[in-house]
Amino acid sequence: MASTTPMPSALTFELVARCSTTKARAAVLTLPHGPVNLPIFMPVATQASLKGLTPQQLEETTCRLCLNNTYHLGLKPGQEVLDKVGGAHKLQGWNHNILTDSGGFQMVSLLKLANITEEGVRFLSPHDGTPMLLTPEVNLLISTETATHSISLQNSIGSDIIMQLDDVLVTTSPDAVRMKEAMERSVRWLDRCIAAHANPTTQNLYCIIQGGLDLDLRRECCKQMVARGTPGIAIGGLSGGEAKADYCRVVNTCTSLLPEMKPRYVMGIGYPEDLVVSVALGADQFDCVWPSRTARFGNAVTRYGVLNMRHARYANDFGPVEEGCGCVCCRKGEGALNITRAFVHHVAAKETVGAHLLTIHNIWYQLNLMREAREAIIEDVYPAFLKKFFADLYAGDKTKFPDWAVEALNTVGVNLME
Amino acid sequence: MAVIGNGDAANNQSCVFEVLSAVDSDTGGARIGRLAVQGRKELNTPDFLAVSSRGVVPHLTPDVLASHTHFSGVHMALEDYIEKTGNGKKQPPILSCGGNISPLHAFTAMPTHIMSLLTPRRTPAVSAPVANSKTSIALFTSTGFQPLTNADYIEAIRTLKPDIAIALGDIPYGVKTGVKRTARMGDRTEQWLSELLGSKIAEQAVFASILPIDFNRQAEYIDYLLDEAASDIAGLAFYDSNLITEIPAATSISNLPRLSLDEPSSPHHILRQISLGMDIFTVPFIGFATDGGIALTFRFPQPFPDDFDQVVEGTTAASLGIDMWMPSHAISLLPFAKDCACYACTFHHRAYVQHLLSAKEMLGWILLQIHNHHTMSCFFASIRESIAKGIFDEDCIAFAKAYESELPEKSGQGPRARGYHFKTEGPGESKKNKAAWGDLGSEEKAAVAYSALVPDDGAHELENKGFAEVAE
Repeated sequence: MASTTPMPSALTFELVARCSTTKARAAVLTLPHGPVNLPIFMPVATQASLKGLTPQQLEETTCRLCLNNTYHLGLKPGQEVLDKVGGAHKLQGWNHNILTDSGGFQMVSLLKLANITEEGVRFLSPHDGTPMLLTPEVNLLISTETATHSISLQNSIGSDIIMQLDDVLVTTSPDAVRMKEAMERSVRWLDRCIAAHANPTTQNLYCIIQGGLDLDLRRECCKQMVARGTPGIAIGGLSGGEAKADYCRVVNTCTSLLPEMKPRYVMGIGYPEDLVVSVALGADQFDCVWPSRTARFGNAVTRYGVLNMRHARYANDFGPVEEGCGCVCCRKGEGALNITRAFVHHVAAKETVGAHLLTIHNIWYQLNLMREAREAIIEDVYPAFLKKFFADLYAGDKTKFPDWAVEALNTVGVNLME
Repeated sequence: MAVIGNGDAANNQSCVFEVLSAVDSDTGGARIGRLAVQGRKELNTPDFLAVSSRGVVPHLTPDVLASHTHFSGVHMALEDYIEKTGNGKKQPPILSCGGNISPLHAFTAMPTHIMSLLTPRRTPAVSAPVANSKTSIALFTSTGFQPLTNADYIEAIRTLKPDIAIALGDIPYGVKTGVKRTARMGDRTEQWLSELLGSKIAEQAVFASILPIDFNRQAEYIDYLLDEAASDIAGLAFYDSNLITEIPAATSISNLPRLSLDEPSSPHHILRQISLGMDIFTVPFIGFATDGGIALTFRFPQPFPDDFDQVVEGTTAASLGIDMWMPSHAISLLPFAKDCACYACTFHHRAYVQHLLSAKEMLGWILLQIHNHHTMSCFFASIRESIAKGIFDEDCIAFAKAYESELPEKSGQGPRARGYHFKTEGPGESKKNKAAWGDLGSEEKAAVAYSALVPDDGAHELENKGFAEVAE
């Protein structure tokens, strides 16, 4: 389905290859701050900093597109500061791409006092209890660069990709009426965002498809939002505790209805197995705080599973965090740091450096996983890639493969069990 | 310029110190020198060694340390690597780590150019509830206090091969010592040093401890150093820098490098110690400043005429550092210090660091730590230049006049201050940082996930910030 009324766009999407079996695609997405290869994992620098990494270290993980959160940046440092500093790129010294999440999800999931009305998200100021209102327009204003009548150019976040404010409801909500309302309201809010969007030629607005686990609602939302012709499309409201099989059905249903030549972003997804399956279902972009958060708990993400470096078994393990990994901590050869598991164990939870090292490793792992997936798609061996991925993760024990993944991959022609 | 090498003595060749400036040997005084350790970057003195915690300079990963710092060595404490062991005594991992040069380096992934100094205890050290004994001192490991015998320490040195090891000393951290105790301190320290030297660890450079007690009370021990140990030791470690002046001049130990473990609390103290003849420092206040959100901005001997924030309000003196928590930095695109070449000042600005601190993002302290170590490296480089030019005394006067005497008070909160290695003040100690989250108002109904989600500002400020509008 092609978009009917294309909006101006500040990106180009070049499809490089399609998997001949699954719905996986390899593409190049060119954004205002440079090209990125799809599929892609986008690390989350919520408050304009990826926890514990210098922007230079983040760059060394090969990251070229990371997330900021409008809600958080709106609170701290606030729009006025962002304007005066000259936007989020300047604030954090990051010359690559930034995607700003709208903050609707945070408002609802984190502030228990928030209420959603047609105008926007109503909440009590946690500081003094005054009722306040966050509207799609204000939210957008924070994340866009806007020229004002004043002599100086007033800049706010200035992100390369901005997300509409959406009405987010937990996917598992049994309230079908409310779910429908949230979906329809998200469409109306998208219209308000498009109308308020000052810089469609320099910043890319993504719509966010809602509709919970109801596939008909999702189809309807896809139809209506695709018609708005945003440069990119996100599938939202997932990763909220729903069954993985339901999640896969929603992604699969939506990607079938989305235009081929636009990037598709599934929000809040980050476990390695979720990533490779979602890629097979036709999604291109993902974000999640998990790899950096779990690093702070002492966990290393590896192709053989998640290893908790705080466990005593690593106290005398003088091997790298992951053999064969190319991250700054693990890689061999010239300039190798030779970080060992024993050292990470020694500092984990006692010095923040332990978390920083694992964050570097985990972010690299996620980006590299998507890089390897992309290479497999281009070589048209993605089904074999998926089989090797699951075999490595579960030590070759097929009985341990998760049912949802086996089932979902079956729907796109890959039988993991054969 | 007289070059007086000490490395040709009977001790090893692995650590050689040369005094590069001719000084009046009767009075001591500031001097420049060079400490060369095989395979490491040369340490031009006076200079400092960074203080490490569990093998890392806090906040700095080894790659950041390698690319963005200039110090030549680190201070490492054995107590950071050994845990309290039960009956089934387990070997601390670092002792079985191997590594072809130094297990201490290999275990901590310390860049190879960095010189390592091994001491039994951290600096500053937490005072132990149990006194040292005839054969051991009390360590504070992450799992509690435990004794370290001299025999075990010697074995640890043999295994870890630090570039420099400080001999075990009977140092009474934070404890007032009586007459009887002080009499024993010298005897014990002498005994322990002679055991270490007698163990003949090949190529091991050893610094002898000078005890923080009255010189006369350790006179016998000092005589032992002068008469017997001088050729086998590579340096002296002072726990009280004032004792430098009491060390007899022009003796077998005058040309040994002198290390200060005296915990200077300001650059003024460092200058004073240098003027007494100190060569190498550990400077815990760098870390304190970083954790307090303070960017050190002093330069030697005085500020640039066009330095930022030069003069503290109501005084004529410049501040030694800037409190980066202050909201006044929120939109400042200035670096911490004018023309500073450190990574933080080159690529970032005050507004970002102010934001990071206020958002409790760890990167704030990382950037401060990089900058503060850089400031200190520049400070020492200028001092060496000044001594070489023979104008150090005048420069010290200029510095004292130009700068405030103490570092600014911190106003914000530090990073999460929890852990075994923070000094406690006993039971009932108040929390270092206030709780990061709590209930909204007095009601329990609305606890939020974490502090960043609770705006500090009232509704009208939020509206002014453009975050949301006040609803009717």
